[in-house]
Amino acid sequence: MAGAIYIIYYTYPHQYNKAGINPPDTIYNQAKDNSNIEKPCSNLHPEWRAAQVIEDVSINASPDCEPDNPYEVATSVRGTNNVSMGTLMHTDFAQDALIMGEDLDKDGDPDIINIKLEVVELNGSSPDGEFLINTFDVAPGIQPGLWVYAPKSRGMAVKNYNSLVSNPLLRAPSPVIRVEQGDKVYVTLENTHYLPHTIHLHGVDHPWMTAKGEDNDGMEEHAVFPGKSHTYEIQPRHVGTMLYHCHVQTAQHFMMGLGGMFIVEENHPNNWLQTFNVGAGVVRHPSVAVKKEYNQEYDLHYQSIDKKLAHIIQEANDPRLVAQHMARDYNMTESFENYFLLNGHSFPYTLRDSMIISSENEDIKLHVANFQRSAIALHIHGHKATITALDGVDLTQAQQITRDVLDMATAQRNDVHLKTQNDGLHSYGPGLWMFHDHVPTGTTTDGIEPGGNMAILAYKALLDEHGMPKMHEHLLDQVFNKEYYAKRQAVWTEGSFGALLGDAGILEPNYLQMLLFGAAIGLLVGLFVLLILVIKRKFKS
Amino acid sequence: MKQILIGLLFISLYQPVFAMEHGGMIMDETGMIMNANPDQLPRDCPQISENKDITIHAGQQYAEKFTGKMFAFDTQEWNVKPCAKINITFINDDQIRHQLMIHGLPGYLYPDGMFHLELNGTGQLQASLILPSQKKTYLVHCELPQHMEKGMKAQLKVEGGDGDLPSIPGISEPIKADLYNTNWNQLSYAILAFSILIGAAIVLMSVIYSEQLTRLLAKLGAKLKRNSPSDLH
Ligand SMILES: [Cu+2]
Ligand SMILES: [Cu+2]
Repeated sequence: MAGAIYIIYYTYPHQYNKAGINPPDTIYNQAKDNSNIEKPCSNLHPEWRAAQVIEDVSINASPDCEPDNPYEVATSVRGTNNVSMGTLMHTDFAQDALIMGEDLDKDGDPDIINIKLEVVELNGSSPDGEFLINTFDVAPGIQPGLWVYAPKSRGMAVKNYNSLVSNPLLRAPSPVIRVEQGDKVYVTLENTHYLPHTIHLHGVDHPWMTAKGEDNDGMEEHAVFPGKSHTYEIQPRHVGTMLYHCHVQTAQHFMMGLGGMFIVEENHPNNWLQTFNVGAGVVRHPSVAVKKEYNQEYDLHYQSIDKKLAHIIQEANDPRLVAQHMARDYNMTESFENYFLLNGHSFPYTLRDSMIISSENEDIKLHVANFQRSAIALHIHGHKATITALDGVDLTQAQQITRDVLDMATAQRNDVHLKTQNDGLHSYGPGLWMFHDHVPTGTTTDGIEPGGNMAILAYKALLDEHGMPKMHEHLLDQVFNKEYYAKRQAVWTEGSFGALLGDAGILEPNYLQMLLFGAAIGLLVGLFVLLILVIKRKFKS
Repeated sequence: MKQILIGLLFISLYQPVFAMEHGGMIMDETGMIMNANPDQLPRDCPQISENKDITIHAGQQYAEKFTGKMFAFDTQEWNVKPCAKINITFINDDQIRHQLMIHGLPGYLYPDGMFHLELNGTGQLQASLILPSQKKTYLVHCELPQHMEKGMKAQLKVEGGDGDLPSIPGISEPIKADLYNTNWNQLSYAILAFSILIGAAIVLMSVIYSEQLTRLLAKLGAKLKRNSPSDLH
């Protein structure tokens, strides 16, 4: 019996075992399936890339893989009430999404602006099956639950009746909103969501109450409940890069994605602004003031997601359960950030719509806002940029700082002047220069690198005809694959090093060992039964 | 009220009449109608069997009679005859957008098989459609993100329909059901203990009275054999 126990102890089958002289062969991927590799660029709308004029709105070229819809840009400039039905039909805007009113100061642009925002749930659950609806992938195969403000839309919220994918207007981040200094702006929140929300205009000059004496600060106790609407009134005297965000259960709702940039531009004659920059990124119709000093303008919205918080809306459908799980069961002080987004996407999707694309000797204006729960340390490789404003307040020439790491606490904004002048200070010359949050977690997607908010400052000559970086085919094939972000793919699979750094194979079971182990157990059980029988017989006699 | 006034101001000042037609669609400030069909008969319908007027309210308030929902229509099911013409009055009682979509209609009359009403806010729309003769259940819903999921779902049955759709408030169960807390209390634990005792007692009794039980079973078996039809031959 002691012998059997000894054998069992020494032949116990462990999960991990020693290999002997020759460790197992390399297997390149644990998933050999290549069907999950996506095309880096699907090239859906090549005609949207060129500079063009729609509804008398001049729209800058945008060589990206996924340029902003120029009809959406034109409608964001003219208003849904001033464009033709044909133009409006090229967008998903409702007919009352953006009503441009009177030119109060008679300087050639509208000064009464009516903006309508809805609250949209992305990657939400359905009682009709094990699937997510109104999906929006932030990276290959990554679909965290999100809430966003969206310009009021119309028609199907999915691409078509057989699809679960959101239409292009329904996406992260909440859209950038641009208005002119002194405009009378009415922002109406139409709460299409099943929980209460508000809009708090962080840093934007606004009276505490509306003209009628109602809430105008978007505070928790004046929540706009499902099915209701509320209009916030502003006439901002001060220009700068500001924010808007929900102030109901702020910690959770902010982290769910209910926040966007609100930019007040200088008042100039004939200054028709692009009111919505859907998906942030390049501004294809910059303001008069920006055009004077800069060649290009970009909005960079940095955001992080706590996957556990985001999952709450996917595991229950009953609004009472969602409310309870989010507000009370989940403890925000035990929150982690798992996904890091730039303009709603993580690398490699940032390459499709959030690169900064430049020629040499350009002056580029960046509006950078931090919607993460942690600070960011933005580094643009190969460049040193100049901070021209902090939290919407211009810096004097003497206050301006030129540096290569821009640190920003939560909710802070930096206006940045990026120069692509190859002078050894502002730029080290053409390249595909990465730019990313230098906090080590920022370039990962749930811990997988490269991911997170990694993006590229690309010099035009180094992009292919689809706006994707040249010379990166191997990397692109590797990361445009949901297997990679599902952690089923080795990191280095290139050339002969694939065999050296790919995944180590798994050992075949040692059958002799199994045989001994099983036999020993059998022996022990047999002995035990025999023992009982003997005892029983003795007892009877 | 203020918004309504501002809205009226703009309508009167900047866009005297702004109702436009585009394909099978009529759209204006209040909303849109897509693929209405007041007169085209489906191929399988020689004539209209009945004219049915239906008023459908949409709003948050109609979810109050259900548990675990947030938006709903005031009615969850309608029954019509094959080849019926339905005249829908769609009323939105909320300050937000709602839709009324009917899916699965014949594509040669309704592009994408869809009939679609949409109201941008409080208001009402009227439109008609003619249904084919097929016995069928049609999905009626609002397709705004999470509106159907949170209760704005109903069904239209032709000739009794071909079954219920899932998760219609008050009518059918969801496919993916939520989990709720259960009130296991002292009484339920007492019942559990009692049933364990009963189970144990059954075993004990059968051991003690095993002889009687075997005899009883044998008798029963014999009786059954006698009564079985194979013995009748
Ligand atoms: Cu909120
Ligand atoms: Cu609805």
